[in-house]
Amino acid sequence: MAVCFGGVLTGVRARCNAVFRALTNAPRSGDMRSMTTAFADFPDMSAFSPRPLAASGLCLSRGGVRLVERLDLDLAPGGALLLTGPNGTGKTTLMRALAGFVRPDAGTIGIDGQAPEAVAADMLGWLGHVDGLKPNETLRRALRFWAGLHGTPRTAILPLMRLMAIDVLIDRPAGQLSRGQQRRAGLVRVALANRPLWLLDEPAGPLDGAGRERLAELVAWHRARGGSVLAATHQLLDWPDAQTIDLGDYR
Amino acid sequence: MREARLAWSGGGGPAGPAAFFLAAITLAPLAIGPSPELLAAAGPGLMGFAALLSVLQSAERLYGDDFSDGTLDLYVLTPAGLSLLCLAKTLGQGVATLWPLPLIALLGGLMYGVAPLSSLMLAAALAAAIPALVLIAGFAGALAAGIRRSGLLIALIAAPMMVPVLIFAAGAGRAGFEGDERALANLLLTAAVSLGTVALVPFGIAAAVRSRLG
Repeated sequence: MAVCFGGVLTGVRARCNAVFRALTNAPRSGDMRSMTTAFADFPDMSAFSPRPLAASGLCLSRGGVRLVERLDLDLAPGGALLLTGPNGTGKTTLMRALAGFVRPDAGTIGIDGQAPEAVAADMLGWLGHVDGLKPNETLRRALRFWAGLHGTPRTAILPLMRLMAIDVLIDRPAGQLSRGQQRRAGLVRVALANRPLWLLDEPAGPLDGAGRERLAELVAWHRARGGSVLAATHQLLDWPDAQTIDLGDYR
Repeated sequence: MREARLAWSGGGGPAGPAAFFLAAITLAPLAIGPSPELLAAAGPGLMGFAALLSVLQSAERLYGDDFSDGTLDLYVLTPAGLSLLCLAKTLGQGVATLWPLPLIALLGGLMYGVAPLSSLMLAAALAAAIPALVLIAGFAGALAAGIRRSGLLIALIAAPMMVPVLIFAAGAGRAGFEGDERALANLLLTAAVSLGTVALVPFGIAAAVRSRLG
């Protein structure tokens, strides 16, 4: 709590508490009791069986231009990996390759030892650079649809929306929401998919400070359940124990 | 289901294709001329053709929108199976937007001076043809998803594949008009083509979607 020393405004204190909570729930905290109390507001979803992600000697190109040269990465269950690098260095292309949308020029990708095309649908929570929302559809309907498609109970929707502070927007059509609010809804959708491996493309791009903290909490919860996260980002995301790969080094 | 609802909420639902269809079949007689025999003879063919055009009209949006807002990525990553999802999506959208067409065709047939029973036959043939038309248009739409001004490409891809459906569906109405017992055969052939596309085209759509995402 030393960080909060001198924090007279309750808002500041609440923010510090959120960071503190996220920090104290690093993935290796195996104490179930502390986990259930720290994530009391989160919906009750069971832990994942471990699904490591690995890639070796990966070469990727887009539109005939080689973007990534001989990249190796390893993401253990409960881990987090941040992809950074200037625009156009292949962050999105790498994520699309890991999801099985794009075939790499060389190298191998294994999700739990299997090819991504075969297992992506059962393993991945995907947040692309767009959120997959329909402008005329309310968040309630959209999230119910995705929860149903992934076999997640509807009761998980509202707690997750509350955690991302968009529960009051549940009956608003997505087209009326700001970019940041749409992003939060996209993150709720990823959590609803209930998949062990999250691939997030610029998750914090349009988010404000409070939104980034809520994202950090969501990610901490996911990692505490044994899930792992790979995120491409330009923001500084201080997730605990996150590795960073700068794609600018692999040209 | 979601597609059907989205089609309703997003842009007038069935009003667009229905208005197009209605405009086409009411304006055509003005161009052809007032001869009753000619109109009654040309009616079924005209309506089959107008139905085909109104299906093509909405084909661009079906997969183009999902491509640009990232929904297609998510569909590929759902455990339900992409082919099944594409079938549900395409048929859902088709039924939601095109259900008035057989009704309008029934009225249109009467308006053109086609006998009531033949008009009914034509309406039934159009209803049987719609799944095939929509799925073929969906296939072309998926192939062209994400291309700017994909409408032209879709028409070029889909129109040749729609030929058998057009021949059989319009043939049912025409044979009905001529008091021919081939009307029923034509109707059944239309239904057969529709069932065939329901069985086969979803796999084609799924493959097209995957290739477009690469």
